Amino acid sequence: MWQVLRNELAGQNFEVITVGCDAKGAEVEREFIDAANPDYPCLIDTKFVVAELYNTRNVPALFWIDERGWIVRGNDPAYMTRRDPDTGVRTPNERYMDVVRDWVKNGSKSIYVTPPDETQSRIGSSDESNQQAMAHFRLGVYLDAHGHHAEAVAQFKAALALKPDNWNYRRQAYNLGSADEYGMTIQEAMQTVGPMYAVALQLPDPPAS
Amino acid sequence: MTVTILTSASEATPADAHVEGGSLWLRSDELLAATGWELKPEGMCRGEICVPLPADRAVSVVRERDGATWVDVAGFAGYVRQTFAHDATTETWYFGPGPEERRGQFQLLDAPDFELPDINGRKHRLSDYRGKKVLLALWASW
Repeated sequence: MWQVLRNELAGQNFEVITVGCDAKGAEVEREFIDAANPDYPCLIDTKFVVAELYNTRNVPALFWIDERGWIVRGNDPAYMTRRDPDTGVRTPNERYMDVVRDWVKNGSKSIYVTPPDETQSRIGSSDESNQQAMAHFRLGVYLDAHGHHAEAVAQFKAALALKPDNWNYRRQAYNLGSADEYGMTIQEAMQTVGPMYAVALQLPDPPAS
Repeated sequence: MTVTILTSASEATPADAHVEGGSLWLRSDELLAATGWELKPEGMCRGEICVPLPADRAVSVVRERDGATWVDVAGFAGYVRQTFAHDATTETWYFGPGPEERRGQFQLLDAPDFELPDINGRKHRLSDYRGKKVLLALWASW
């Protein structure tokens, strides 16, 4: 779907950049990227550098960056396709695509651009315990990649003890092993630590035309 | 045992490193490659900034032994509140961002720049796209 939007809007000074947050990198991302057949850059972030810089704790997380390099809307948990729960059929998320079209057309006048204080509050801020959790997480990723799975699990547990609601850590850790090692499934974790997204996707209604 | 020292940008296995309790002693000439810090007369320095070491602090994190100068990088990290994580089985240490990297990191409205490879290994910087609107989309396969 990004390719559709990109093709449509590329002549209007617009680019899509995707960042795949996966400890195993290209090995696990290639099939998705090949399927998208993209002309836009699909970057591989095995160390969760961008997740740290942009203070995200789950995916998807979408940020709008304007021509000046300023974030004008942040941390949208928007998928580009929607899956019908009954039929399983995936359809494009036309609503979000329309919202992006509106921004590309209207720039800072788009009703979907958020004021700086709201943008800042949607992104939140990190703290020292998050830095500490990130140190455990990065060490865990390294240890797992070097054949020390048990030691990696200990580091992931330390990260999750500090930040139980960081779904990047939890989902990646479970993916490298199993939920059994953590004594809690994803569903149980949601019951215990709360929702998966810090902020819901909040889109103002389009103006009546 | 070989000690491995990781940061977000580097991986090093210094020839001489000693773990003693919670301390990680590195020879001062191996400090820069492993941690990005350098011991100078004015203190511990990284890039533009130097952290002075008060006499009482210097006693606990710097020592002379075997004709060399050694720094306890774990002790120093605690002093400057640089986060780190340690796996004792493999003696692998990860050091988080230093004080100079954290400063201003979350002044987020100026989109933080980064450089990452694409699926073909070609590097891209976010700032290469300055002058365009960019939709930055974080996703994962998991």
